[in-house]
Order: sequence, then structure tokens, then C-alpha cells
Amino acid sequence: MFVARSIAADHKDLIHDVSFDFHGRRMATCSSDQSVKVWDKSENGDWHCTASWKTHSGSVWRVTWAHPEFGQVLASCSFDRTAAVWEEIVGESNDKLRGQSHWVKRTTLVDSRTSVTDVKFAPKHMGLMLATCSADGIVRIYEAPDVMNLSQWSLQHEISCKLSCSCISWNPSSSRAHSPMIAVGSDDSSPSAMAKVQIFEYNENTRKYAKAETLMTVTDAVHDIAFAPNLGRSYHILAIATKDVRIFTLKPVRKELTSSGGPTKFEIHIVAQFDNHNSQVWRVSWNITGTVLASSGDDGCVRLWKANYMDNWKCTGILKGNGSPVNGSSQQGNSNPSLGSNIPNLQNSLNGSSSGRKHS
Amino acid sequence: MEKMSRVTTALGGSALTGHTMHCHLDAPANAISVCRDAAQVVVAGRSIFKIYAIEEEQFVEKLNLRVGRKPSLNLSCADVVWHQMDENLLATAATNGVVVTWNLGRPSRNKQDQLFTEHKRTVNKVCFHPSEAHVLLSGSQDGFMKCFDLRKKDSVSTFSGQSESVRDVQFSIRDYFTFASTFENGNVQLWDIRRPDRCERMFTAHNGPVFCCDWHPDDRGWLATGGRDKMVKVWDMTTHRAKEMHCVQTIASVARVKWRPECRHHLATCSMMVDHNIYVWDVRRPFVPAAMFEEHRDVTTGIAWRHPHDPSFLLSGSKDSTLCQHLFRDASQPVERANPEGLCYGLFGDLAFAAKESLVATDSGRKPYAGDRRHPIFFKRKLDPAEPFTGLASSALSVFEMEPGSGSMSWFVDTAERYALAGRPLAELCDHNAKVARELGRNQVAQTWTMLRMIYCSPGVVPTTNLNHSVGKGSSCGLPLMNSFNLKDMSQGLGSETRLDRSKGDTRSDTVLLDSSATLITNEDNEETEGSDVPADYLLGDVEGEEEELYLLDPEHAHTEEPEYVLPQEAFPLRHEIVDTPPGPEHLQDKAESPHVSGSEADAASLAPVDASFSLISVSHALYDSRLPPDFFSALVCDMLRFYAEQGDVQMAVSVLIVLGERVRKDIDEQTQEHWYTSYIDLLQRFCLWNVSNQVVKLSTSRAISCLNQASTTLHVNCSHCKRPMSSRGWVCDRCHRCASMCAVCHHVVKGLFVWCQGCSHGGHLQHIMKWLEGSSHCPAGCGHLCEYS
Repeated sequence: MFVARSIAADHKDLIHDVSFDFHGRRMATCSSDQSVKVWDKSENGDWHCTASWKTHSGSVWRVTWAHPEFGQVLASCSFDRTAAVWEEIVGESNDKLRGQSHWVKRTTLVDSRTSVTDVKFAPKHMGLMLATCSADGIVRIYEAPDVMNLSQWSLQHEISCKLSCSCISWNPSSSRAHSPMIAVGSDDSSPSAMAKVQIFEYNENTRKYAKAETLMTVTDAVHDIAFAPNLGRSYHILAIATKDVRIFTLKPVRKELTSSGGPTKFEIHIVAQFDNHNSQVWRVSWNITGTVLASSGDDGCVRLWKANYMDNWKCTGILKGNGSPVNGSSQQGNSNPSLGSNIPNLQNSLNGSSSGRKHS
Repeated sequence: MEKMSRVTTALGGSALTGHTMHCHLDAPANAISVCRDAAQVVVAGRSIFKIYAIEEEQFVEKLNLRVGRKPSLNLSCADVVWHQMDENLLATAATNGVVVTWNLGRPSRNKQDQLFTEHKRTVNKVCFHPSEAHVLLSGSQDGFMKCFDLRKKDSVSTFSGQSESVRDVQFSIRDYFTFASTFENGNVQLWDIRRPDRCERMFTAHNGPVFCCDWHPDDRGWLATGGRDKMVKVWDMTTHRAKEMHCVQTIASVARVKWRPECRHHLATCSMMVDHNIYVWDVRRPFVPAAMFEEHRDVTTGIAWRHPHDPSFLLSGSKDSTLCQHLFRDASQPVERANPEGLCYGLFGDLAFAAKESLVATDSGRKPYAGDRRHPIFFKRKLDPAEPFTGLASSALSVFEMEPGSGSMSWFVDTAERYALAGRPLAELCDHNAKVARELGRNQVAQTWTMLRMIYCSPGVVPTTNLNHSVGKGSSCGLPLMNSFNLKDMSQGLGSETRLDRSKGDTRSDTVLLDSSATLITNEDNEETEGSDVPADYLLGDVEGEEEELYLLDPEHAHTEEPEYVLPQEAFPLRHEIVDTPPGPEHLQDKAESPHVSGSEADAASLAPVDASFSLISVSHALYDSRLPPDFFSALVCDMLRFYAEQGDVQMAVSVLIVLGERVRKDIDEQTQEHWYTSYIDLLQRFCLWNVSNQVVKLSTSRAISCLNQASTTLHVNCSHCKRPMSSRGWVCDRCHRCASMCAVCHHVVKGLFVWCQGCSHGGHLQHIMKWLEGSSHCPAGCGHLCEYS
């Protein structure tokens, strides 16, 4: 079971994003009050704010951590049309004594003419790269050619999505078989029902990102999008927060079958669709193994979703935002952590490996 | 329409109607001003000066005030203002410093009335007195403000701000004689119109120029100012010192600010560069604009509320040569699109969740905010000042933590730390891992390990001489290898205890499983072991320096398992040589007769949980009866590995891959293996399981993975005697020809883990140095250095 630990965030306006770092020991929050706060977990599990500073001159929509290999680095994006990269400075003995750390701005990315709605670091194996998307419908990919110099970022790609973008997600797969890929969601409220999720893939030959897929079935405003961590999976799982929670699988069709050089073709299936929030779903987030999805909606609840061995997704828990339990929250998914625990025995699982996976 | 009826009441019968619309102007606008009847608007610019009628559906050009053939600089307008008492009276400020008044009542085409050429530079602003028909005020770039009586030819009085250019002048609505002026140096001055000698009050309002100001129409002491520092500040001027009441941070320098009629806390702003939008702010929520108008394609230069008592119509002129009427209802509301929640899954299954308080509020006590999505507060006719402001939002942040043991990722950490991946015969590895899995309550994984053991080495426990031989070999050389690994890990300082435990546990399971065979370790076996070990050791000799450690490989010592015994690292690849002596085929030829099978069956049954074992055993029974080779299963095993990977348990996939080694590797393509390895290593590193991660890297057969360990492995050291950098490989200094790796405490050569102070280069055995530092902080070598170890 979960224990809720309430934190006095002391932000002056709405918090728009929270983000754990790679090791799960630090947390960053950003708010409309134009500040970012960094929280460190103490030995006894308490979260202490170790830094709080004004980052932008508008609402800060998102904050995200870089892989620690590149240092203690944060990126933020804002309504003020910029994205910024921040680095923690060690030393400052004065701050150390007060238990505070010091963050300095390394760069401001000013290419967007409209609100920058999301910022995400690329998976580590791609180097130090950063993608932003903005309300004018452009996804920009920046790279720091020298990982030791965080103040130099070059704009590598500009992908036009034609729709106001609200969220992006990198495909985290480290497999060489999977080209770099980025999914973009749009919250464009224009009445024309257009597909709101586009997937772009990097093409080695043209050295450009090209549209690989469009999820035609998603026509409502998308608020969040997240690829599941790909731990050796051959296919990709994509969660989408729109008026409901949706989970898609994208299975690459084998390269030999498609024309070489072109974008990878995918077999796309919707494996789950839940409207239990009964309202807009704002956020989706995967657990570390990509087996449990958490979603939060306007109902103020967090719901946990998990697939059984037959790839049937079910709700395994409901958490009320203020920590009070919700009636009917089943605990069966939480009580037993082992991944295949639903499977009675091995024989079944072996059968399941052939039959279960085809089911979708 | 509800709203319209409200508008009607507000205006006492003369309802304003209309919708969002725009019209194209011939030239960029610099300023606009509305007639008091709210039906006409004047647009002025460098080369435009026109009056438009605001009709239901469109703007209609009523009058072009630019007459005459030759263009005059007097007509190049920087500002325009329409008198709020006299519908026929207008004033413009020209860029050449001339102030012109216009009388629309003149019968001729030329409506120009008076011309005041008193300012030396551009006039930035003109302003009529709100209640006095003939008083006009101007503020200029030359730093002077002038007050004109329209009945006279010249200015009545001149005010010298004595602080750079004047950007805005505004008569107070509260005090008949007071006006405010703003300056490029950031100052705001308050003047009494009767006292031109000096200002009544002056304060610095902004960093950099103050471009604009506006008196609150109702709250008469409030003045809003906007500056290049991107801020809008609201000052209470009634107090002795101007008091900052609110501060709004916008995203670009503020060129115009206008209080919104009938909404006490709302004001509209536009910027003079970069940003083309018009924002309406609630000053109590200073971070998020309440509304945003995005129609203009270039800088908005003039904004005006259409009627002084109607909050829904805003007019604007822009450098993009358009005149717009914005309906507040049509404005985009960034607040509504803003995400009210943040959610992030943590590493240990904990969830961080931030949500707007109203969303997570319990029903008791707190008024939900959700309703106003459809009925925004802005359409309320009049805000009751006593009513608490509901628009200000805050978020509740909480972290949901997994209770220990109830589904956090601890199983992953435990499994990673306790699994044995190499160094022992396959059967033991499988048994050990099955045991680990079972102890962690992961029965299916335990079954899998048991199953693997049955498939690949089940007959290994069959006590035929032949088999004993091979198993004995494996154990005799496997255990020392295991030990060497333990030592290494111990030296790395982490997880040593669990490892020791594990090796203890292993020995126990050894005696259980190989009770007969364990005693069969013979000299022959050891000789074979030695034979296979020696070449590897030579390969690696240089790691330990030129020390002759070969005696350790003497047959007598090989099986003694003395704790100091350190085998070079690359002994691990030998694992394959050893386990590769294929147990499979010969076992099967070795007629797995029914008694033996029953033996293994019993064995397995005792290991496996009671509930599930029967079906398994019957399967294995059947299979072994038909004498299938392990190869038969490899496709199935690969399929199983993929299954685990697709289920998100890459740990299992990689562990089995490593343990089974060559047996399955060929059946899974290199890319997939690499993917599994990188994924698992990434996961291990997330949990800071560096030792396990390192072990996995080392044991991996994929070239791309194993080279991970070769990156940045160079270490620069100084000789502890001469303090100069060591250039050669090994531990003998080139310059002083002494061994640099002497322990400063026991004065013996350090083999294995060497720790030294980076300040004085002295060091020694880890344990010795640690012990020494407990008693003294000075260097044990006696150099007087206060050593520091991180």
C-alpha cells in the first residue's frame, strides 16, 4: 500500500510538473509562479527543498532532469517562449551550510515565438540532446556537441507539426534496431478533428526526422504523452492522456519487409482505453520497468494501470490526491510486486508467451 | 443572452453589441482613442489619421483627417486622444514636437484647430483633463510637460521633470489638480497642475523606462505603471509614500496599460516589442494572464476599452496595419489550458503528485473551483470586494511512497544483488537463483530457474562416476573463482556481506546437492583446472605488477580456498570452458533411467513449491523419458527469455542469458542481446548497483557491452617517494626505482586494493589506512600531511 507524504511546496501558484531524477533521490517542481524548486530526499525519507529560484518570466510548464552522467542538470520551459538549461554548482560553502544548493543558467533557448510547452532530454545513448515543443507547432531538437559545455546548444532539427504542440516524449529504447523516435501530442482546440498524436522518426539516410505515424484515432486534445521505458522489449508502448487514458503498442514491422531507407512501419494497436477519470486526463507516467502506468485527471485522483499476462490492462489502484483512500481501490496489483505473479505456473507462461502476446 | 442583458443594464439602455472583428488600415497605427459614445474610434499613425465607426459587423471609415496635398510632419502622430466630454474635440501629438487639436465641428474639410509648437522633440503623450473641457496636457521626449488652455494660443504652464524624457502623462481621476508623469529613467512624478515649479512627489517605480501609466477608474488612489523591465506595478498613491500593491511579471516590456472597466483587479497590457499579444491580468494572480488576445501579427501599439463601463470590448491598433475589436469572451485563457497537475513515477514505485488544491480538496469546507470553467469569474458584472478571490490557485504536492516490501522495487535490488551469475556450475547457479527468487516470493521466476536446471543439467546430479567427475571439476574450480570474486567485491566496499553470505549458502547447497561428488575432488581434477587457469593468469599478470603469484596456482593451493587467494579477473571466461564440456549429450547417452529420474524428481519436488510442482515434474518426466536433448528446448527457452523481456523483467532475461551462456546465445540475435544488456545495466545504474552492473558488463559476451568497461579507465598516480607522476606501467617508479605501492602502515607491498591520499601520494592497505585514520588524521608515512580521503 501507499503512504501519502504531503509536502509543503510553497509555490505561489499552480504546480505544473514534478520530475524525479535518474536515481529517484531528487525531485524538481515547477510552477506558474515562475520558479523551480529542487527537493532532496533525506535519510529518513523526508523531502527538503534545497533550491528555489526564479527561472522564467512566465509560467514554467515543465521541468526535466538530464542523465547524471552529464552532471546535475535541469531543463525548464515556459510561457515566456524560452527553454532554459540549469546546472547545479558545487562548492559555495555558504549555501552548503544552509543546506541550499546553487543553480546557474547555462543557456536560454529562444527560438520559439510562442509558449514552449514541453522540454525533454533525449535518452542518454544519443548524447546530450534536448527536444522542445511549442504552441506554434514546432518541435525543436538541440544538441550540446560538447557535453562539458552546457552553454552551447545548436539547433539540429525543426519539425513542423502543423498543430499547437502540448507534449513530447522520446522513445527511450537503447536498441540499435530502433531509430531515435519522438512522439508529439497536441492540445489544439481548433474544431477540425485532426489526429492529435504524431510520431517522428530519425532517418539515418536523410539525417532528418520524418513522420513515421499518426494516431488517427486520437482526435481530442492531448495533454500528456509518454513512451514506456523499453527494457529489452521489441515493441514500444505509448500512453496518452486525453479525455481518457489510452495505451498503444507500436510493433515495428520487420525492416526487410519495408522499403529500405524509408521510415519504419508500425503495427499499431490500442490495447487499453479507460475513461474512469470521467474527465480530462492531465498526466501519464510509467514506472521504471514500464509495467505500471499512473494517470491523473481532473477528478484529482491518480489511477494505476497494469497489464496481466494476457495483455489485459486493469486498474490496480486509485490514490486520492490528498492522500485519503478511495473506496474500491483494489490492492491486488500492489500487493504482489513480482512481474509475472499473476501467472500460476511456468507452463502457463510459456503458453502465454505464444498466445498472450499475439492477443491485442 | 445573459451577458448581453448585463451589458445593457450596465450602460443604462444603450447596449453595446458586436463581435471580434478587425479591419485593415492603410498604414501602421501608433495610437487609438475611443469617442465617448463608444461608436467611433480614431486611429493615428505616422501616415494615417482616420476615424472609424464601430458597427455591428465591421469597422466603417468615417473620416480621413489627413487632408492637404503635401504631407506635413505635423500629421505624423505619436499619440491621439479623444476628449471624453466633447465629441468633437481631439488632440494629437506629432513626432516633430507639435501638439495639434482638432475640431470635428468645423465645416471645412480641414478639421485642424490649434497648433502648439512649443516642444523641441517628439511629443509622446497628450491627455485631456477628465472634467475640464479646455485643459490639455502633453509630455515630450525633451523632458518637459506642458499644460495648454485651448482658449489660449500658448501653453499655460511648463513642468520640468528634470529627469530625462517623459513617456506618459495622465490626469488623476481622483484629484482635480493632480497628474502623474512617467520617465525614461524609471521615475514616476506626481504634479499639482497649479505648481509648475516642482513635483509634489517622486519615486522610482521601475528599472529602466516607465512607458505607461493608468489611474484606476474606481479605486482612485491606484496607479498602474508598466516598464521596460517587463513589469506592471500597481501603486497606492493615497498613502504618504507610494506603496506597491501588486506586481505583475509579463514576458516583454510593457508599452500600454489600461484598467479594465468594471473589473477592479483587471488590467490590459500590450508590449512594444517581441510580443504581439494583448494580455488581461488579474493583478491578484500576477503570474498567469487571465486572458490573451492573439489576433495581431505585429506589435500592438494602442489599446482602449470601448466603453468606460463595459468590460467586454477591447479595441486595439497595431503595427501590422489592422484595427481590431476583441470580445473578452473570445479571448484565449491560458489558465484554462494550463496543466493543473504534475505526476511522476519514482524509481522505487513512489509517485510524486502535484495537483490544484481545488481538485484534490475534500468536499468539506472548501469550495470547489471546478465550476468556473464554464462560468469564468470575468463575466460577473461586479465583483464583490468582500468576496474572497477564487481565481488564485495553489497546488498540493505529495509523494505516495510504497510501504516497504509491498511492491517497491526492492525485489529488483535484492535479486540483482543476490543472484549468482557465474563462477559455479550451471546446476548450482540455477538452484541458487531459484532459491533467491523463491525467498523473494517470486515463484514463477523460481520455477523458471528450476526448469532451466532440469533442461540443461538435470542429470548432473545423477551419481554416475562420469558425471561426478565433471561436476567435481566444476565445483573445485568454481568455488575459488567465486571466492576471488567475493574478494574483489569486498575491496570495492559494497555488498561484501551479502556476497559472503551467498558463498556460504552456496557451500551449503553444494553439500546438499553434490554430497557424493564434493568429496571426489581429486588431484587430477585440480591439475586440469590448473592447466586451464595458467594461460589466463599470464595474460593478466601485469595487472598485479610483476609479482610472481604463480605459486597460488599450485595444485595444493587451488582447492584450499584460502581467503587471501586472489585470482585475476579474467579467470571468468574460463567458466565457459568448464561448463562447456557438454553435460547434455553424454548425460542423455548415459541413459537417464527411471530411478535417476525419480531422484531428480524428488529433488525438484523438494525444491519446488508444492502447489505447482506436479505439472512441471510430469512434464520433465515425460520429456526425459523420451530423451530429448537440451537443444530441443533452446527455442522454447529463447521464447521464454523474450517473454520475460517483453513483460518488463529484463533482469531475468539477462541473468538467464549469462548463466546459460553459449547454450542459448546463438539463438538470440546480437542486437536483441545488446538491447537487453544495455537496458539491464541502465536499470542497475539507476539503483546505484554499480558492482552488479560491472559484473554484468564483464560477463556479457557482446562486444558493444564489454567495451563499456574499458572507457575512462586511466588513473594518474604519483610515486609516493619522489612525488612525481608515474609514467611506466606497474608500480615501480622510473625515477627513484622504488616500488611505489608500499603500505605506509605495514611497509609491505600492497597487492590488491591500494588506497592513497591524493595530497601526499602516501597510502596503503585499505584496512590499515582506515585503522590509522581512526587514531590520527596525519599521514601514516610521517610526512606531516593532513590526509584526506573521500
